[in-house]
Amino acid sequence: MAKVYKDLREFLKTLEEEGQLVRVTHEVMPEPDIGAAGRAASRLPSGPAVLFENIKGYKGSVVTNVHGSWQNHALMMGMPKDTPTKAQFEELNRRWDKFPVPPNVVSREEAPCKENTITENINLFDVLPLYRINEQDGGFFLSKASVVSGDPEFPDDFNKQNVGTYRIQVKDKDRVGIQALAMHDIAVQLEKAERKNEPLPIAIALGNTPLVTFMASTPIGYSQNEYEFVGALQDGVPTDIVKADTAEHLFVPAGAEVVLEGYIIPRVRVVEGPFGEFPGSYSGSRLQCEVQITRITHRTDPIFENLYLGMPWTEIDYLMALNTSVPLYKQVKDSFPEVVAVNAMYSHGIGVIISTKCRYGGYAKGVAMRLLSTPHGMPYSKIVIVVDEFVDPFNLEQVMWALTTRVLPHKDVSLIENAAGMPLDPSSNRPGMTTKMIIDATTPVPPEPNPRAVELLTDPVGTEKYMTIIRDLQKAMEEK
Amino acid sequence: MKCPRCDSEKTRTMVKSPVGDIWEVFVCESCWYSWRSTETPVILPKFKLTDELIANLGVIPPVPPLD
Repeated sequence: MAKVYKDLREFLKTLEEEGQLVRVTHEVMPEPDIGAAGRAASRLPSGPAVLFENIKGYKGSVVTNVHGSWQNHALMMGMPKDTPTKAQFEELNRRWDKFPVPPNVVSREEAPCKENTITENINLFDVLPLYRINEQDGGFFLSKASVVSGDPEFPDDFNKQNVGTYRIQVKDKDRVGIQALAMHDIAVQLEKAERKNEPLPIAIALGNTPLVTFMASTPIGYSQNEYEFVGALQDGVPTDIVKADTAEHLFVPAGAEVVLEGYIIPRVRVVEGPFGEFPGSYSGSRLQCEVQITRITHRTDPIFENLYLGMPWTEIDYLMALNTSVPLYKQVKDSFPEVVAVNAMYSHGIGVIISTKCRYGGYAKGVAMRLLSTPHGMPYSKIVIVVDEFVDPFNLEQVMWALTTRVLPHKDVSLIENAAGMPLDPSSNRPGMTTKMIIDATTPVPPEPNPRAVELLTDPVGTEKYMTIIRDLQKAMEEK
Repeated sequence: MKCPRCDSEKTRTMVKSPVGDIWEVFVCESCWYSWRSTETPVILPKFKLTDELIANLGVIPPVPPLD
C-alpha cells in the first residue's frame, strides 16, 4: 500500500525528511522574494518545496514549489523520490483503474479546515500572505486553488460536482476574480446559473493534500468526480471531505488549510489580468467573473500554498504533466489498444507524443485524430507526434530520432485548419482557434507502401555486459 | 493618487499590513489593478488601460441570454 497523506502538512513533513523542502526563516518581502524563490526552486534539478516562515507585514507562512520536481511528484504518490518519470506514469495508470473510490465524509467537528470561522469583516490578507507572482500581473493571484462548484440543474448529483483549478485574482479584501474559460467544467455550471440570473455557490480550497490538487488540475469527464479519483490515486484509500458551510450540496477537502466560501456574482464581468500564464507569456486583461467571499474557514496557523508559473518548466508544468498524459492515454487506449504510452507533458497537452503499434496503413494518423477529439485534446492539443511502439515517448532523444528518420514531410505531416485551440496559446488566432498538426513518425505498414524498408540496427552481442564492465571501471577510477 | 495602469484618480487603500504599519495595498476602482506601497509599478505600454480599452475588452465567458 502506497503512503497516503491526510493533508498538506503530512506531505510537507515527508518532503522535509526526504530533503525536498527547505525553510526560509529570515524575513522576506512578499515581492519579489516569494515569486523569485518559486522560479528558482523549479529550475533546480531536484527542486525542493520552499516554506517562507517570516514575511514582512504578514502573520502566516507561504509554501511554494510543493509539486515542483519529479522527486516531489514521486513522493506525492508515495514512491521513492528517484522513481523515473515513465515509471510514475505507469503507476498512475495502474491506480487510475481503481476509480471510483468514494470519499469519506467527516463531520464538521472532525474536519481540521473548520477549526476557525470568519463571517464578519472578511479580510483575505489576514489569513493569506498574498503576493504578486510575476511583475506584470494585474494583482495578487491564487494560482493553486481547488475550486468546488455544483451543477445548478443537478445540485445533488455528486458526480457532477466539480473540483477544478482556475486562476483567481484578489480584487478586494472579500472579493476575487475567477477565470472560467468556456471549455472548463465550471463554465457549464455558470451558464446554467446565469441564464436564471442566479449566483453560483463555490468554495475555494487552498493548501490541500497533494493528490487533491493534482486531481483538481486533471482533465476528466464532466460527470466524473475528482474526489473519487483521489481515492483511486491514493491506491484505494478514500480521501476525507466535509460539507461546505454555505452550500448544502458542496463538499470541500476536510484537511484544507483555508476554505473561502461564496458565490460567483451572476452576469457581471470586471477587468481581470494580466497574468503570467503556463505557456510562458502573459495573458492580457479581459472582463471576467467575480466571486463574493461570504465566509472563511481555516486551520489554526494556516499555510498558504501557491505556485510559480512562468517560462516552462515551472511547478505548474510538473503538476500538469502526468495528470494530462494519463487521461489522454486512457481515452485513446480505450479505442486503440495498440497505444503504448502518451506523453502530453508540454504546456498542458498542447504538445503530445503518442507511442503506438500500427495495425494497418494510416493507423497513426487515426490515433492522433482520436486524441484530438478527446474532451481535453480538442481544445488544447495542437501538435501531435506519433511514434512506433518501441520508441519511448518520454525520451525526447528517441522521439527526435523518429522525427528525423521516419518522417517524409509531404505525406507524413497533416494540417487541420480552423480547429479549436487553447486561447492562452499566443499562436492561436483568433484566440481559441488554431491549426492542428499531426506528424506521423511511425514506420509505414501495409497497405501504405514502404518502398525503402530498412533493417534497424540492434545492439551488438555483449553490449549489456560491457555496460557493466565500463561502469565498474569508471567507478574504480573515481575511487582512486 | 493615480493608478499606475489607467491613470484614474479613483484609487483607494484596499488593506493595511496585518502586522505592524509596514505597507498598504492600493486598488484602482476603474481597472482593478492593485499594488503594494513597497512596490514601484512599471506597467508595460501594452498592458496600460484606458476607459475605451476597458469597454472593448474580451468577455470571458460570454454572458448568456436570460431564460
